[in-house]
Order: sequence, then structure tokens, then C-alpha cells
Amino acid sequence: MTPALELKNVSKTYQLRQSGGFFARTTDHLAVNNVSLTLPRNQILGLVGESGSGKTTTGMMAMRLVEPSAGQILVDGTDITALGHAALKPFRRKMQVVFQDSYSALDPMMTLAQIVAEPLHIHGLGTASEQTEQALEMLVKTGLDRSYGNRYPHELSGGQRQRVAIARALILRPQVLVADEPTSALDVSVKAQIINLLLDLQAEMGLSILFISHDLSVVRSLTDKVAVMFQGRIVEEAPTETIFTDARHPYTRSLLDAIPVLNPRERRARTFLSRVQIEAATPRLSGQDGTPELHDIAPGHRLEAIR
Amino acid sequence: MIRYILGRLASIALTFTVVSIIVFLMMHAVPGGPFDGNDMPVNDAVKAKLNASLGLDQPLYVQYFKYMWGVLHFDFGVPFQSPGETVLQLLGRAWPPSLILGGAGVLIGAPLGILLGMAAALRRNTWIDYLASAFATLGLTIPVFVISMALIMVFAVWLNWLPASGWGKPRSWILPIIAYAAIPMATYARYTRSAMLDVLTKPFVTVLRAKGLSERRIIFQHVLRNAALPMVTVFLPMFIGTATGSIFVEAMFRVPGLGAYFVSSIELRDYSLEMALILMITMMFCVAYLISDIIYALLNPRIRFGDRK
Amino acid sequence: MTLLNIENLTVSFPQHDGVVQAVRGVSLRVSPGESIGIVGESGSGKSVTCMAALRLLREPPSRIVADRLELGGVDMLRAGRTQLAAVRGRIAAMVFQDPMTAFDPVFTIGHQIVETIRAHRDLSKSAATTEAAALLARVEIKTPDAILNSYPHQLSGGMLQRAMIAMALSCRPQILFADEPTTALDVTIQAQILHLIKQLQAELGMALIMVTHDLGVVAETVDRVVVMYGGRVMETAPVQDIFDAPLHPYTQALMASMPGRTPGKQRLIEIAGASPNPANPPTGCPFHPRCAVADAQCAAEAPAFRALSESRAAACWRLA
Repeated sequence: MTPALELKNVSKTYQLRQSGGFFARTTDHLAVNNVSLTLPRNQILGLVGESGSGKTTTGMMAMRLVEPSAGQILVDGTDITALGHAALKPFRRKMQVVFQDSYSALDPMMTLAQIVAEPLHIHGLGTASEQTEQALEMLVKTGLDRSYGNRYPHELSGGQRQRVAIARALILRPQVLVADEPTSALDVSVKAQIINLLLDLQAEMGLSILFISHDLSVVRSLTDKVAVMFQGRIVEEAPTETIFTDARHPYTRSLLDAIPVLNPRERRARTFLSRVQIEAATPRLSGQDGTPELHDIAPGHRLEAIR
Repeated sequence: MIRYILGRLASIALTFTVVSIIVFLMMHAVPGGPFDGNDMPVNDAVKAKLNASLGLDQPLYVQYFKYMWGVLHFDFGVPFQSPGETVLQLLGRAWPPSLILGGAGVLIGAPLGILLGMAAALRRNTWIDYLASAFATLGLTIPVFVISMALIMVFAVWLNWLPASGWGKPRSWILPIIAYAAIPMATYARYTRSAMLDVLTKPFVTVLRAKGLSERRIIFQHVLRNAALPMVTVFLPMFIGTATGSIFVEAMFRVPGLGAYFVSSIELRDYSLEMALILMITMMFCVAYLISDIIYALLNPRIRFGDRK
Repeated sequence: MTLLNIENLTVSFPQHDGVVQAVRGVSLRVSPGESIGIVGESGSGKSVTCMAALRLLREPPSRIVADRLELGGVDMLRAGRTQLAAVRGRIAAMVFQDPMTAFDPVFTIGHQIVETIRAHRDLSKSAATTEAAALLARVEIKTPDAILNSYPHQLSGGMLQRAMIAMALSCRPQILFADEPTTALDVTIQAQILHLIKQLQAELGMALIMVTHDLGVVAETVDRVVVMYGGRVMETAPVQDIFDAPLHPYTQALMASMPGRTPGKQRLIEIAGASPNPANPPTGCPFHPRCAVADAQCAAEAPAFRALSESRAAACWRLA
């Protein structure tokens, strides 16, 4: 079966302007370096990494909200990398995005029903009353009752606003949802609600979700598969439990080791690796020298290593 | 930094050229010429002769290049309304009063405004703040000729302490300068207040308090220095804006400054003077912005050193 | 001896539509060398409690009322400006959440550490600079002199937070308030900073108040936990007891809803509803609208905070 979303050898180069005005020089910064990812249908893929790892840029490229410098993006098996604005529109319906800061993403002057119905309006689907009705149904689906339709974003708590953002993203019944740190700004007691909502909607609507996060605990409860990004590259990818029990890359291990303990009894001394130490500890599959590349080391388990 | 300044100088040259072309074209797009006035009609033959003598019969681009060539040699031509002197001589005669008036106005108004703004910010939402803000708002909203009138009424007419007009002895400078200082004072008061309040709500100010620094040190060393950053960028350009003189204040107090020539050069189609005035002001603004950007860069480590991360 | 003694602290902010009570009757005692974690969500009053203890809130608009507010033997409610400045940085220091905005952008790190040292100790500029370099080395910065001469924007968040800790420790405080010191940092940097704080606390023998929303941070660093919700203390207990046998329904629910506790993709146990709106808090116990075991009494009247054993206390009618 064709995957819902596929990235093939995608890279993004940013030109950094050196300070100095009119005739300033620029240097190239490789934010995402030759990333290949497959998001199978009906699954949740976690994209994990720290700030500057390129995970958000990768997610934005998958949505074509950022143009890739190289590589291909396939939605439903169709290459959308070079599509123009008009040709892209039908694919936009299939792909939606939810951000960390849902407050700034919601127009404060619109009611929640208007906000959620807006994508229907943009794509010209149904009459105005049908659009409103669908929006109210979607609000109910995300855990807000119909009375919320007449309210405004500022009347909501953080968790409720994230529900509205999810409702708006899902009203077009997309196949792919890119969720960029959707739980990071939420209170601890509300985080579980949003994770459950994503799990329920994924099962119910047959969604495929690219879940971008730095929070490995959330990733463990939510995802089927995890890809770990480091310095713009994917260094390891495996089924979620494999990552937690049998991680091979030194960076994946240092990320896992850094997770705070769940019980004070498990307090332990840790060794911290610098980026240079991590690069130097790239796994070797045989004794030879060479450049690190991604290799399949087990079914579904990819590892950046020197063959 | 040198690279930066060279880049800026290049963009100033460009600005200067574009402004000169636009002004030149607009000037000549206005119908009529210097000898079309109704009060002193001349016949067409004489007019043609006069125009030819001033080169006004030549194609526009030729006139433009001729004039700009002169400008490069500091020759701004002859003012038609006062043909006995050059434009430069006229400026040398009329500018000093405007410069004194505007410069003294800013030098008095700006520090007062800054103090007022600081007081308002530090005593936010108290009567000091309200009073200072009201004062600043009045300074900005009351037209300068009303202030001038009031000053003349009180100090010249009723109290008879100071002369009502003229520009002879320094005593006669006092009232116009006070009238004029109201504008920079009000502007700076508002600007300082908002810049200070902006800094005072920054997290690092809480950190400075948590470190146990005295309030005086926090305000005078940290808050003021940070608030000054955005202010340096407006100080010089504003200085230029005001030092070119105020038509209204000069008119109210009969100051023989530049103000009157702004109006008359346009009315009389005095092309040379008009161009000269606008080009000089353009140049001064460009240089002022350049200097204030350099000062800003020197004060702001973020620009001075760039990002190392 | 008690280093920090807060009794019945209330902090309120007037707003256009009424008065917001951010802290409602909090009591807290900290002994020298003790490490305490204050856990709570946004709006629980945990940060405001610390800010009030150091009198760092702007008054007015905020209003602080307490039966007692003592820090290092100084009555913080009656202390004047000079006395407050002498306590801050010297007796009690604070590390803040976002290191990127915690330093004055126009001065070097060195300048800012040196001015802290010289505010409290009679040292020459060069002696203070030497001391600052030693402090940076102490927080495991490998090139102290380079960092001293750097401006904040030139450094990473992790490096700035280390410098912030060095600055906080520069006058050997007896108590360190760390307000979400790792929330703005990456996971691996967070682990390093927590380790550093814990280590320095033990070495210097100072008391620590770790304010956080993250139970994991608490599990890593402190001896005793104070759980806050809706401006009140819900429960306090030794850290191991909190994780082994949480007593208050809120603590229990919070523990149960932590993601990643068990392997596998799975729905989590969630706490229904949202955190209380501080401008319009529920009557009675602030947690009762979301509590599984609440009844009419919980809605009518706030339970008193009472001792349950020698080391544990909680505010809950169900635990009477």
C-alpha cells in the first residue's frame, strides 16, 4: 500500500547573512540534510530531536510550507514537490498542521464555529449552514460541546484552544496531520487529554500523523515508530519500543538517558556526551573507516553507522 | 564596520540622486515659471529672453545635469528672487537664525522631555505620570502658533519682560526658542516614557533586583542604557528635522530665518533655491541617519559583534 | 532554625474585572540545607510564592499579606529597600526560567557577575573578576575567560543558564530559588543543569527550592515535595512518599496521567476539565470540579491543610 506521506532525500539549505549591511556575505547552513522518511497509513510517526536538529523544518517541508532545496515529497504516491499553487490545492486538503502555540494560530475576531468552518469555506465545500453544522460536529468530536461554537478564542483555556486547532485541522478529513509540539505548551494535567484525543481521532478517522516533539515520554505513549534527528540528519529510526529498549546510536541513547526518572529511587549518575563526542562515537558495523550512512540493521530499524 | 559604512554611503548617494530627480521633475511639472506672475507682467519676447539667459529654455534633462554638475562643485546657482547673491550666500544669511532657534529648542526641549519621560515611567500610574503625560500630550496637540501667541501675550504684552518679535539681541531669542522647545520636549517625553516602560518589564530587570542591586544602579546603569538604544536612532534625525526651522514660529516672531524661503521659493518657482533647500535637507537627514545607526551599532553589542551562536 | 518561614501568605493582583488571588494561604518552612520541590501547573501560585518571598513582585499592583514572611531572620514584610537588597543575592539567590532574557543584553556576562559580587562584598574589580572566572569554572564552563567577555546573545541557552547559576552562587547564598530552571532548555542540557544544581547544593550546603511543573525534575533533585494547585498547597511529603503513595486526589491523578510510564502506544489516564481560572476560582477545594471523589462538602468549604503523619500533610476532606 502506498504510504500516506513520503520524503525522499530531502534537504534544506538556508543562507545565513553575515552581519554587515549592503554588501554582506552569506554562508550556507544545511538545516536538513538528506532526510528520507515514510509515514505509513494509519500510523503515528514520532520525529524527535532537540532545538536546531531540523525536525520542525522537516515537518514544514512535508507540508510544503517551506520549500525543500533538494529531494522529493510524495503524498499518496504523487510527487508534489514541484506542483504550483493551483495544482497543490487538492493536496492541501489531504494534509493539515497543528502547532504548539494554538493561540496565535486562531483569529481572535472569529467565533470558534467560524474558525473551524474556515477551511470548508476556503475550499468551497457546502453551503454556509452546512459548513457551520459540520464545524459544530467537529467541535463535539474534539471534546467541546456545540455551545462553544459561538465563543471566541480568548474565552478558552490552553487545552481547549488546542482542541479547536485540531478540529480546524481535521474538518477537511485530511489523510495526514503534521503535529508540531502540540502538547508542549500545555499544563501537565491537560497534556494527557490532548494525547488521548489524537489517539482516538487517529483510530476513528484513519489518520496518519507526523508527531514532532522533543518529549520522549509523550512520544512513547503516542507513536508507532520514532525517527531521531541530530544536526539535520536522521541518525536512527525504529519501532517505538525498539527505540526505548534497544537504541543503538549514541545520540538516541543520550536523549533517552536524559529523560528525568519516574521515581526518585531510580536516581543515577549520568555521563554527558558533547556533540563532538557523539559524532566520534558513530557506530561501526565492521572495522573499516568510511562516511556514516543509514543502514537497515533489523526489520524497520535504521541506524546511521559506518559500514 | 567599514564595509557597512561604505554600503550605507552608496545607498545615500542613490537616495540623493533619486530625490533630486523626483524633486526636479515635480518642480517643473507645476505649471508656470518664474516670470509668469500677475503683479509684474512681462511680454512674451522678454520672458523668452529671460528664460534663455537662465537656461530655462533648454530640455529638462540638460537643465538637470547642468544643475547637478554645479551642485557637485558646491554651486547651487542664483536665487531668482534675490539675484544679487548666490544661493549659498542666501543660505549663509538666512540659516543661522533658524539653526539657533531649532538647535536651542532641541537642546532645551529634549533633555527636559527625557527627564519628564523618566519621571513618568518610574512613577507609573501615579499623579507624576499623569501630569507628565498630560503635559506631553498638550505639547503635541496645541498648535505651535497658539503657544507662541500665549507666550507673546503673557511675557511681551502683559508683563513686558521680553520683546514680542524680531531677532536682534539675544533677549529676543528667548520667546521663540521656548515656543519651539515645546515640540521636542513633548516628543521626547512620550518616547522616553514608552522606551523606559518597555525595558522595565523585561525579565532581566527582575533578575537585577533579585541580585540585590540598588534601585538607583538598576535604573541608571541598566534600564537607561537599554532605553537609550532605540532613542539614539531618533535623536539626530529629529535634530535635523527641527534645526531646519519652523515656518510657524519664525512667522509668529518675525524671525528672518529660512522658513519664509521654503514657501516663497515654491510660490515664485525659484528653482535653484528650491532644489538647494531640499537637497541640503535630504543630505542632512541621510548623514544623521547614518551617524545614529553607527552610534546604535556601537552601543548595541548584538550588532557590534554579530551572532556567534 | 528556620531559614525561610512563610505563614498564611496571600498574594493578590487587582484586575479590571475584580481581584485575582494568585496565592491563597500558603505556609512553608525551609531549614538550612534542605531541598524542596514546589510542583504545580501554570496558575498554581508556585512562582508567585517565591517571588513574594523575595518581595520581587511590583507592589502595587500586587498585594502581599502574610502572618509571617521571614528569610534568613529578616522580616521581609517590614524590610526597607536597602535591607531587601542586602537579603537578595546574599542570603537568597534566584535562577529564572529563560536564561536568554535573564541577562542585560548590553553588558558582558563578566560585568554582570562582577557587579553582583561587588554589590554584596567589599572586593576590588580585579579580585571580583578573578572570583567570577573561578565561579564559571565551578559550573563546569571550560573557557571561563572567554565567557566573561561574551555578551548574552553570543551564548547558547545552556551556557547562559550555567552562567546564571554561577552568578546566583557568587555571594554564597544560604538558599537558592530555582524557578523552572530547565524548562526552556533542551532535554540533554536539562539533565546536565539539574545535575549541576544538585551537586552544587550538596557541596555548598545551601537550601534549594526547585519550582517546576515537571514531576520528573522533582524525582531527580529534591528531598521534599510541596504540591500546589489553584493558589493553595494540596500536599507535602518526602519525595519518595509522593511517588510511592501519593495521598491527595490531585497528586494521585497527576502521577497517573504522566505519559511514558508504561511501554506501548496507549490512551492515558486523563484529568478531566481545565485548571481553575484564578480570576474566578471555584468555591471550596480548588480541585473539586475535576476530582473523582469530591462531594458537596468539597464544593462548599476549602479543607484545612492538616498533618497526616510526622512528615506528611494534605488539604483534603477525604483524608480526614
